[in-house]
Amino acid sequence: MLFTWFMLTGFILLFAPQNLTSKFQLAFVHVFRWPLSIGGDLALTAQTQQPLTGSVSRSETQYLNYIANLEKTLAEERQKFEKLSGLYNTYVWEGTDFALADVITANVDGSRSELTIACRKSAGLAEGQFVLGDECIIGRISDVFPQISKAEVVLVTDPTSMIPIEVEGLKNIMKGKGNNTAKIEMVKNEVKVGENVFALKKPGFLDAPMIVGKVSECNRNQKNPSLWDITVVPACDIEQLEDIAVIIMNPQK
Amino acid sequence: MRWFRFALLILAVTVIQKSLLARWSTKPDLLVVLLVFYAIHYSTSDAIISSFTIGFAADLVGSPMPMGPQMISFGLFGTLLAYLHRVIAIKRMPFQALAIFVSSLLTGVLSHLLAHITGEPVAANIYAVVFVTSLYSSIVGPFLFLPLAWWMRIKTSRFGRRY
Repeated sequence: MLFTWFMLTGFILLFAPQNLTSKFQLAFVHVFRWPLSIGGDLALTAQTQQPLTGSVSRSETQYLNYIANLEKTLAEERQKFEKLSGLYNTYVWEGTDFALADVITANVDGSRSELTIACRKSAGLAEGQFVLGDECIIGRISDVFPQISKAEVVLVTDPTSMIPIEVEGLKNIMKGKGNNTAKIEMVKNEVKVGENVFALKKPGFLDAPMIVGKVSECNRNQKNPSLWDITVVPACDIEQLEDIAVIIMNPQK
Repeated sequence: MRWFRFALLILAVTVIQKSLLARWSTKPDLLVVLLVFYAIHYSTSDAIISSFTIGFAADLVGSPMPMGPQMISFGLFGTLLAYLHRVIAIKRMPFQALAIFVSSLLTGVLSHLLAHITGEPVAANIYAVVFVTSLYSSIVGPFLFLPLAWWMRIKTSRFGRRY
């Protein structure tokens, strides 16, 4: 009996509208954002090689850490300012707004790829907007929850992602394949490994082509050997991203 | 079953799975390890409740997958494992590792199939991902059983079948 009731609950959740059930997932992230972000930071620290310092006394270490923390905070604030002023000073971005956001959780496992972000200002955020990480397109907004200033980003490597791109003058569609890769299928010409892949302009969402990835492999299509299949990897290390910027075209003043 | 300790443990493991481990492309599934632990250390009814609860927790952090598939698959295979444990005692570490490997493999495949039914796309390499995750879980899992038993106040000498 217990088993039947639980199964029934599971099926109700499965077939309920996803925009309704995804609120449970986001509510969890919202409630536990603090331990989640600490865990994410720990993972980032573990993945980054730390330089060794000379041995110093404990009080000196504390003082040095205090100074380092202050310097880091200052550097980060300066970096944010430069990033924003740099983006605003590019002529193609005239009239465009950028919403900076922190990455709370990053799901980059082999099957699905998604980020949950905390926006400092959620006004103007909408589904479909492009997301920048380290000056390259990393994905698009898939869901916005303005009440709790959170949004979900589907990365370009997610199997649901399809983005019009251009590589070596050839226009095509790039589909996410999971495992931190995307694929461009049925390309007429062979493309060099390392070539840049650009996301095409999309009125209302992107006013200028922007780099989205780099060609990592170019193999002949198995069904049609006269065509080529290109494997693309993101232009930045998405796993290491701590903050991102959402491109808001024609923001409402 | 100490339900308060169970809730705290599930919460902690869920947060660790979503934050600390999420940034690695290959990682063990700690929730499957918990599933097997509760299925082989508690009574069948406790195992059913804990299996579905762990599945629900896995769904909560399973975004962008929809809610439901993991609750169903964890519940189904957790229950089956609990019934299997009434017949075959899974006490030794290699058997525990095997139980984790098979459970992880089956829950992973069923979750993605159920998600696919609702229109979710399936990655081309999904079976490889599920296999690697199962392998990692089965290596790490049996070593986590001891601290888990300590946390749940189970005396290791009394491990065995419970009805």
